[in-house]
Amino acid sequence: MKKLIVLFLFATTLPAWAQDATFKKHYLNQTEVGIMLGRVKADPYAGQGGRGQEIVQNRTNLSLQTLNGIQCSPRLGIGVITGMDWYNSALVNPIGAGLRYDLTGKSTARLYASADAGYGFTWFHDDSEGFDTRGGLMLNPGLGLRIGKPDGAAFTLAFSYKHQDVTVNKPPFTDQTVRVENRNYNRFLIRLGVAF
Amino acid sequence: MKTALRTASIAIIALSVWSCNDNCTETRVRRSMTPTTISLLEVRKDLKTEAPRALEHPGKIYVRDKYLFINEVAEGLHIIDNSDPSSPRSVAFVKIPGNGDMAVRGNILYADSYSDLVALDITDPKNPKEVNRVEEVFRSGQFDGGTWTYNPNIRAINAQKVTFFTETIQTNCEDNPTPNWGWGWNTAFAMADASFFRSSNVSSAAPTSGGGGGDGQGGSMARFALYDKYLYTVGQNELNLFDVSTPSKPAFFSTVQLGWGIETIFPYKDKLFIGSTTGMHIYDNSNPAKPERLSIFQHGRACDPVVVHNDIAYVTIRTGTFCGGAQNQLDLVDIRDLRRPQLIKSYQMQNPHGLGIDFPTLYLCEGEHGLKVFDATDPFSVDSRLLSHFKKMDAYDVIPLGKTLMMIGKDGFYQFDASDSKNLRQLSKIPVGKAAI
Repeated sequence: MKKLIVLFLFATTLPAWAQDATFKKHYLNQTEVGIMLGRVKADPYAGQGGRGQEIVQNRTNLSLQTLNGIQCSPRLGIGVITGMDWYNSALVNPIGAGLRYDLTGKSTARLYASADAGYGFTWFHDDSEGFDTRGGLMLNPGLGLRIGKPDGAAFTLAFSYKHQDVTVNKPPFTDQTVRVENRNYNRFLIRLGVAF
Repeated sequence: MKTALRTASIAIIALSVWSCNDNCTETRVRRSMTPTTISLLEVRKDLKTEAPRALEHPGKIYVRDKYLFINEVAEGLHIIDNSDPSSPRSVAFVKIPGNGDMAVRGNILYADSYSDLVALDITDPKNPKEVNRVEEVFRSGQFDGGTWTYNPNIRAINAQKVTFFTETIQTNCEDNPTPNWGWGWNTAFAMADASFFRSSNVSSAAPTSGGGGGDGQGGSMARFALYDKYLYTVGQNELNLFDVSTPSKPAFFSTVQLGWGIETIFPYKDKLFIGSTTGMHIYDNSNPAKPERLSIFQHGRACDPVVVHNDIAYVTIRTGTFCGGAQNQLDLVDIRDLRRPQLIKSYQMQNPHGLGIDFPTLYLCEGEHGLKVFDATDPFSVDSRLLSHFKKMDAYDVIPLGKTLMMIGKDGFYQFDASDSKNLRQLSKIPVGKAAI
């Protein structure tokens, strides 16, 4: 039994030592461009009591993101993400922490998990008169494929889910005193990028 | 291992796709109107002095010596002893049904009570007494967007009781869901009464120059003004004059037709500056019994209180519930030639409400964006001389009194030490919901 355990430990830890011996922490950059796909369902006459007839529309928006950080181990990379998301009526700049973790070992096509979280700012959003758009929480977990040599630059293809909160203060209509919209953007993201 | 991973990844992607719906809701606080009828007998019977109570829905402010009057919209007046501005003390609440405006001359306080003008003796501020009443002079008005009209057939007031409720609707995440404009009539009606809503909610600042001694100070958004031996009150489209040569016996004197959408009256020297939804009217008041129109400075339809110092009128325009319009700006108008007022410069603002001038300091209320203090020495560069900006307060209106500055907002009544205009210091605050006793 003891032998078995020792053997097992050897078998599992040896490859890691071997990797660590050659691995050096280095700068990590992943720059991606992608589309955010989503749908929205709303009754256009909701403001007038509603007609019970909801309209479903597609939403397709562009997203840019770059991660700058450190490849801490052969599998784990961490960094700061900055991005630009063009929603139909909000321009959001998410800034936050990003994490990349390789799920599969050394090969030219590796599956990795990504987890980004941060705050979306609306610095560059130009509000129309009377409107005030403010950003909010951004969450973006996903999975991706890294295609390229393990130690060199690689192309990435990522699928992820993005959640972005936005709050808009609007000028009230005649019979109102306050009008605030809370937006929860929930999107499916497909991104292509390069990483080195 | 690989199979598990593949399964997991497919599951995650499937899940995320499944829930990829933008989910947007718009929350609005809306007015709801319930028609009510209040008999004049009831209105008159209900006028009484009560124990001090908390501010709930403050409206206009008015100052007379060490006493301060804060209107509780459509309900009455809080009387506050302000001998020590750092700790004002409530002394009484006078219940005046349908009250929105007030003015004080000597020991007499004039207040509107729906269709009536009431004169109260405030020699003992703890216990004001009704001394006179000019009955059935005002025809209509508005509080919080709810209109009231005088019904002479049954001698009663047909009013709309306003209650607020919150509703949440699903939107399509775009800027402008279809507005709930009602069907035309309502909207036009509301627009016509823009003035009343604003003036019942807000009051502003600048001295009410007076002919008679012992007048108090109201604001540029006030609808009541004292000058010479007259009390001027502006209605929706007319100016009423009351003879107050004997203060305790106000008498209806005459009516001057003004035109549509009148909001505020601001007497300055021997001129009357009248703010309307379409512009600023200038009246010559050298014969106080018969004001004569000199000119109208017109701009787009918007809410626009006005204050004046020497040759310059400061007019704010804002987008707002009842005012229409799409600008938020401060206009400086050259009024050297009163028959031909001329725009000096427009400045972009956030959401300007009331304003006050204690030259060269200009106080501007930006609603929920707070209070701004400008140095207005150079009329062409007011915006670049922002002395301070108090953000964490709601600012509707100010009264500059030289050394102190009074400000009312939705969240309460503030007093500042303004002896150094560059460095305003808050002296006290009476928050809404708490009586200052």
